[in-house]
This record gives sequence, C-alpha cells and structure tokens, in this order.
Amino acid sequence: MRIATCTLVKQYEENAVSGQEALGKRPLQVLEKIRENLERLNEKMEVMIELQKHDHKDASLPLTDAPLDVMTLLSMPDHLRKTAMTLCRLGRATADEIAQQTRRARAVESAYLNQLVIMGHLKKERDGRKAYFYVERNGKG
Amino acid sequence: MIGLGKIIAVHSYKGGTGKTLLSLNLAATLVKHGKKVCLFDLDFRAPSLATLLDVTKGDCWLNDYLNGVCEIDKVLVDFTDRIHNGGKLFIGLANPATEAIRDMSAKDRKWEMRALGRLLALRNSLLSDKSFDYVVMDTSPGLQYSSINAIVSADLVIVATTFDKSDVDGTKRMLRELYDLFEKKTEIVLNKVLEGSTPVGKERMQTRVKDIYHAPLLGAIPCFCDVLRAQGNIIFVEDKPEHPFTRILDGIANEIDKM
Repeated sequence: MRIATCTLVKQYEENAVSGQEALGKRPLQVLEKIRENLERLNEKMEVMIELQKHDHKDASLPLTDAPLDVMTLLSMPDHLRKTAMTLCRLGRATADEIAQQTRRARAVESAYLNQLVIMGHLKKERDGRKAYFYVERNGKG
Repeated sequence: MIGLGKIIAVHSYKGGTGKTLLSLNLAATLVKHGKKVCLFDLDFRAPSLATLLDVTKGDCWLNDYLNGVCEIDKVLVDFTDRIHNGGKLFIGLANPATEAIRDMSAKDRKWEMRALGRLLALRNSLLSDKSFDYVVMDTSPGLQYSSINAIVSADLVIVATTFDKSDVDGTKRMLRELYDLFEKKTEIVLNKVLEGSTPVGKERMQTRVKDIYHAPLLGAIPCFCDVLRAQGNIIFVEDKPEHPFTRILDGIANEIDKM
C-alpha cells in the first residue's frame, strides 16, 4: 500500500514537470494531459480502496480467475450485478459506455468495474487513454 | 415491429407445464403472422423438439454451437415448409442422445460462462445479421444453468405455469429471486386452466394472477383434450387453424408483437 502510494506521488510529480515544460506551447493539450492523469490517479485510488476492502496488500499480485457465470451473477449484490450484466451484453466496454447503459455516473461504474476486476470476474486493458473492461471467456476449463 | 427483433425465453418452475408445446406453437404462430422465427431447444437434460419434429440425425446440434465447435448457421434446420403461407421458421435442436445429455450435465462453471457468451452473441448473429424477428428459446424447468443462461440472454421471459400449489409457490419465488434480479420483462401464461373462456372468467383470472405474481397475464390456455390427444405429434396451430387453442396463441403472438 505504501509502495503503491509512493509510486503514485512520483508519477504525479513527473507528469507535473512535463506539464510545465509544455505549458507555453499547447495549453489545451496540457489541460487534456492533466485531466487524463487525474483520471488515471482516480482509477488507481479506486483500486487501492477496493484492495483495502478485500485486505490485499499488493496491487501487482495476480488475481485469481473467478468465472462470471449466471450463478455468480445471481449471488452478487444488485449494484455490481447491474454493471456485470451490462458488460456481459456489451462484451468489451469502457466505464463511460457502461454508464450510458445503466444511467449511473461514470465514476460510479468505474469503481464497480474495478471492484469486479479485483474480484477476478473481469479483465482490464488500456488502449491509449481508454481503459477497456471485458469478460475473459477464452481461458482453459 | 421496428428495429431489432426479440429474444423470448419460455421457462417454468416445474416440468410438465407445457413449455415445449407453447414454444413450438408460439414460434409457429409468429411464422404464420409473417415473421422470421428461430426456435431453440435449450432443454439439454430432456431434449424433445428433435423427437416431436422427427429429426433423428443432425450434423450439428445446439450442443455443438455452445461447445464452440460449429457456428450457428450449421445448427439451424429450415422448417419453413411445415408452415404454409407465412414467414420463415428455423429450428436449433438439442442432441437427444444419452451421451450428449450426460456430457451437457457435466459441464463446469467456466464452460457455462462461455455458453452464456455464445448465447449473448446470437443477438448480433441472428437478430442483426440474419434479420430474425424472433428467437424463441424452450428451456429446462427450474434453476438450471442452461435455463438461466437463456433468461439472461432474453428480452422477454414467458413463464408457463399452472394453478398447482407447488408450481404457484415455486413460480412466485422465481419471479422474486430470478427474473427480478436480472431485471427481465416477465409475462405469465397460465396453462391447463379450468375456467377463463368467458370474459368474466378471464378478468377474474387476470386479477388473481396479478395478486399472486405481481406480473401481467399474457394468456390463459384451458385444458384441451384435443391438444392432449395429439400427443405432441403435430404443430397444432398449423394443423388446426380454427381450434380455440390456435386463437389463444394468435392473441399471445399479437400481444408480443405489440411490445
């Protein structure tokens, strides 16, 4: 937890310096970069909060695969089931795309999606600025 | 209906409530109304459509599609010639061989998760790409993986039920603890009813169903000896177009089309 916080602070400082260098040149791009970094920070904070809830010490630890089958969906709390069901339907989606379907706030969906990743039900990958969530269906078993 | 078609799962708490009879005849009625319909037998524990439709051999079954060894095109059998003057009817059958039933009942959670993915993919492959108006899924009774997978994939769940006490209790629980949790639109079809052919009887039954289930009544089917006598050997709505059973199915299909 402490190591993760230090990494976050260092990353934030590095981004702030590079932001200053570019400030005079392209203010809009700099603002966009700041927003992007804040979003990433926010996501990482959400993951850390969830890890604390689940008593995980290290975010880099591999999470066990927990199949997202219908019985698992049934046993989930309502708020997570809604998010998981929507992702099952869409296949692969960003928090924003899920939020459009569920009509809940993007930040809320982002928190739930990250929680489902930590629980081992979903996978997450980055494509440029965007974080995509999906259900891993191609594993062995 | 404008836009994408609908996936309908026909389910029940108990066996013997008439799911298969309803599924087959509802699909046939929708075809008679000019629709392009696909009917699936998702009752892998007790497949019945293959027998009812006299299909003994097949290259690909629905089992194979869910196993990921063939695409859905290979599974669909064209039964359009069985319904005159209508749309199109394709059927995907469950393999009735004992070995296949044993194989399907031994699947693990990961397989069931992938099967759900394959069922969800049908929305694109059948409704979008192949322009089906309806996909009707006949399911196993109760809380079976294959049935819940079908329910999760569906837009509408039709619950076939009777006034049998244990069926009523079980159906009530399923409405609360299954369909509601998945936020599914659910409609009740009461089968084997003893009253209800008169307008007063129908109204009384609607009130009773609403009181018990808090869900709308899509249709009530009296206990017809003619239907029992047919022993599932015919597509009833096609062979007996003037029968009251056929008229009730017409009404149910019209209601579904309006949704």
